[in-house]
Amino acid sequence: MKQLYYDVKKCLGCKSCEITCSVAHSLTGELFKAINEEILSLPRKKVLSSQGKNYPVSCRHCKDPKCVDACMAAALVFDQAKGMVMHDETRCVGCWMCVMACPYGAVRPNIKAKIPVRCDKCKDKDEPACVKACPTGAIVWQEEILIEK
Amino acid sequence: MKQFIIIGNSAAGIACAEAIRQRDKESKIVVISDEDYPSYCRCLISYYLAGDVKEDKILYRPESFYKENNIELLLNKKVSRVDPKKNHIICEDKTQLSYDSLLIATGSTPKFPQMSGIKKRGVFGFRTIKDTKEIEGLLPVTKTACVLGGGLIGLKAAYALSKRKIEVKVIVKSKQVLSQMLDFEAASMLQKKLQENGIEIILGQDAAEVIGNGDIKAVKLDSGKAIGASLIIVGKGVEPNIDLIKDTEIKFNEGVIANNFLQTNIPNIYTAGDVCESFDMTQGKHTVNALWPVAIEQGKIAGCNIAGDNLNYDGSLAMNSIEFFGLPFISLGIYRTQAGDSSFEELKLMDPKINLYKKLILKDNVLIGAILVGDIKQSGIFLRLIRERIKVSSLKDRLLQENFGYPDIIDLIKEEKEKIYV
Repeated sequence: MKQLYYDVKKCLGCKSCEITCSVAHSLTGELFKAINEEILSLPRKKVLSSQGKNYPVSCRHCKDPKCVDACMAAALVFDQAKGMVMHDETRCVGCWMCVMACPYGAVRPNIKAKIPVRCDKCKDKDEPACVKACPTGAIVWQEEILIEK
Repeated sequence: MKQFIIIGNSAAGIACAEAIRQRDKESKIVVISDEDYPSYCRCLISYYLAGDVKEDKILYRPESFYKENNIELLLNKKVSRVDPKKNHIICEDKTQLSYDSLLIATGSTPKFPQMSGIKKRGVFGFRTIKDTKEIEGLLPVTKTACVLGGGLIGLKAAYALSKRKIEVKVIVKSKQVLSQMLDFEAASMLQKKLQENGIEIILGQDAAEVIGNGDIKAVKLDSGKAIGASLIIVGKGVEPNIDLIKDTEIKFNEGVIANNFLQTNIPNIYTAGDVCESFDMTQGKHTVNALWPVAIEQGKIAGCNIAGDNLNYDGSLAMNSIEFFGLPFISLGIYRTQAGDSSFEELKLMDPKINLYKKLILKDNVLIGAILVGDIKQSGIFLRLIRERIKVSSLKDRLLQENFGYPDIIDLIKEEKEKIYV
């Protein structure tokens, strides 16, 4: 199962990943059209800094996901086969329980869309858009097992 | 073969059944409900009444869930008594069922204030899908409605009715709405938002009488004023359903008292959800936190322990999230302190012009509560700081910053090993 990892030493905090992520999740998929969409596409990851280091903060698809437990609409489900937290937007009521429950602050509200945004690993594509967008190679798309050893 | 009985088919009951089944494929699991509906998202009934959610989306688990997990579901069955000595339960229809372990997850029932006319047709609690459908049935002939109580249930009901074009007034005894969740400042922001959107809030007055012969005509307030309404929804809080254990040796206070394994004082009887009185980690004493995420967590841990684990429950805490007309509110733990009590420290940020308000309450440099209005994106981090009782002395100037987040606490938390940052 491939996961996203971040080499903090290489991250410059340029936020290219944020922009690419927003565009990749917009309706049109093109920057100059995306910024004019009625409900602005928000990035699924945010680069935050602490003590001089930059950390892209993003959903980790926890195996014991607090957001799924907190979801009062059963819109969130942990898919064992995919190893991912799946979000059914047709069930979501925008109550923000998942935002409140995430211990990483990695689920963010898109208030206008009434939908929480989280990394979906660009599920329809071969690799997440942020990986290619990172100019320093700080975002690593890697099999889980290789890293955790 | 063992038999586990779960009384209650909502959040705690389902979480418990799932946890048992993940660990134990053999034993018999029986889930009993006094409702006649498979498990549904109870918190969505107001969205359903508003017309925001259709009935097919209200089921919490698909109808095939019980069969797929080999769970026997008994609907429309009310348990009248638990007999811990004989390890069996007695139902209202006189049937008896024996158990090896039992979960009491009977939930709670709306409290009805005592007043003349409160039993009239057209006065409803707002707890079940049955309540919701009955209210819905009256909407075509309803023009005006009153909600008694400014708690979460009352306000959600008021939102739903107003969405269905019914003129609705909320009568609140205290000086603010959501007095169990928000301080005066945050409540004022919410009241303004509701009023702007056509929901009238009447503060500081209580209902005294429901007026009408047969059909409801009005609600009379303690001030003497009468407010015309043909439908009334009561949102004056809930009380745990503990009748079934009242004459037993199972200990209860407001709710059934749970230890740190979610066991009652009888080792093979567990409790979880709105009926459970558990240790509250911010208040430092036992209390009922009748909240969906709390019920899930408790049900899950109780289920694991019923199946033979020995999981410790750190305790519950108040946590709630709600949004009205695009303005989100989150309340965690202790949200209000006594004026003049110097043992607490408050950090505040307020800009009413843009509907922004953040308040953090610290005790001995540990976060014990928060209110967030408008900008809620850091609420998960605050909840974690509260749960893990992390000293935030070094972070005080960061906590209210717009870009405060997980990296700020990375060196302080109890995570075994950071996995994603290499």
